[in-house]
Amino acid sequence: MAEAGAPTSCGSGMLKMNNIEVAYLNVIRVLHGVSLSVDDGQVVALLGANGAGKSTTLKAISGLLSSEEGEVTGGSIEWNGERIDNRSAEEIGKLGVIQALEGRRVFEHLNTEENLLVGAYQRRDCGAVKADLDMVYQYFPRLKEMRRSTAGYLSGGEQQMLVVGRAIMASPKLLMLDEPSLGLAPKVVETIFQVLVDINKKDVTILLIEQNAQMALQVAHRGYVMETGKMSLEGKAEDVAQNEQIKKTYLGL
Amino acid sequence: MITGKLVIEQILNGLVLGCMYASVASGLTLIWGTMKMINFAHGEFYMLGGYVMYFAIVSFGIPPLYSIFLAVVIVFAMGIVIEKICLHPLLDKPDWDISAFVATLGVGIFFQNFALRVWGERFKSVPYFLEGTLDVFGFRMAYQRIFIFAVTAGVMGGFWLYLKKARFGLGLRATAQDRDAATILGINAKKIYTITFGMSCALASLAAVLLAPIFLINPWMGSVPLIKGFITVVLGGLGSFGGAILGGILLGVVESISVIVFSSEWKDVVAFIILILVLWIRPSGLFGTKEW
Repeated sequence: MAEAGAPTSCGSGMLKMNNIEVAYLNVIRVLHGVSLSVDDGQVVALLGANGAGKSTTLKAISGLLSSEEGEVTGGSIEWNGERIDNRSAEEIGKLGVIQALEGRRVFEHLNTEENLLVGAYQRRDCGAVKADLDMVYQYFPRLKEMRRSTAGYLSGGEQQMLVVGRAIMASPKLLMLDEPSLGLAPKVVETIFQVLVDINKKDVTILLIEQNAQMALQVAHRGYVMETGKMSLEGKAEDVAQNEQIKKTYLGL
Repeated sequence: MITGKLVIEQILNGLVLGCMYASVASGLTLIWGTMKMINFAHGEFYMLGGYVMYFAIVSFGIPPLYSIFLAVVIVFAMGIVIEKICLHPLLDKPDWDISAFVATLGVGIFFQNFALRVWGERFKSVPYFLEGTLDVFGFRMAYQRIFIFAVTAGVMGGFWLYLKKARFGLGLRATAQDRDAATILGINAKKIYTITFGMSCALASLAAVLLAPIFLINPWMGSVPLIKGFITVVLGGLGSFGGAILGGILLGVVESISVIVFSSEWKDVVAFIILILVLWIRPSGLFGTKEW
């Protein structure tokens, strides 16, 4: 942990996780004191090997642990100074903290456009929803072509675009993505990352889990690295990318 | 003697019967599709619809059309209350499907005995609210039956459109397919469950009030429609709304035709034989997997 330094909980982030501990079924401890902070307007990449606890970290924020019989057993999560670690997934979603789920979880019996509109379910401003729909179609022209197709029949890449587009439709303040590049053709990955960079410019803060560390650190301002339920490294994205150990383990350099 | 005319008349009767099955079954399938549970009190909400209708017409002298509306609305409200009291506390607890099964069984037993105790075991009848028959090309159809067919067809069609087009319908379908993915987008799944349960009860009640003049009102009147509803739901594919409607009409028509081919005692036997055949050949139902 040379240049990038040891993890500390720091700054006045819009999202702050302090020393979070998570256990499944009351016994299986997955996170052992994870701290993370995301500042307004940033893109933060969360890296790490399989099973390090990245997805659990996101689920702890979005309130999805309870449906898997997991629980935050220690620490706190603050959203703009407000504790959110005991809120339901629905309340957290309403705050504008939106997670795009891993595994291309589209509503497979709904068509593409319906999927996108479900994203905007809690919004009442019809005009803005329409504008966002057009924006998503502009980002992903393929989705517009497939707007009447049942989502279950879309290709993997199209489904991943749909999951990202659906999350954008929710007008997020913080958008959390879980492995958006997993198993996709490089071209699709590029499209998706381009969109992420673009909506970040439109003031959407992004917390990104990635296996593709190189790609993630290119677009990110800050990076965190997780190892077996703990943060092992944090720092500016450039510094993380320069870290020798990271180079070896994640970047293959 | 089986004549063409008799067959056509029975098909028409079967359509009316099928409408009732479709209405009961669509409520069951709606609950299964969204909440992933089977409501064993469904027949009792059907029964309550019948009683509300009876008291509205006979005790309060409310005109039949308003009584129908009243019965549907009151049973909708009762469904919501029961869901809040008996099912809501069980949501998200382990073994939800089993606890919901036991809870609804209990609700059903409660209402059945409540009706028996308070309203008595004597069968009550509701007068026909439409007199006369329609004669077309030598076929006779009672206005009452045409009315049943028209109203259920209208309500089912409207409900289908509502599920497909309305904002709430979209939320319902999304929640039914992937609850977690829906909640993280800020959709209140529990509220959707509550309202869906109420709607399901209202559909059961609708079937009961339309048929009230044909069948008699009694504490046990819900048990046969419940069983036929289950058969319909399995025929159409569990969780499929369109399947429940088509399955209901199919079952109604086949039953009616079996009456002339065999005799009316064999009606239920035929229904169950069809059920067993379908389970044997197409276990996921005639119309395939769920479609929301």
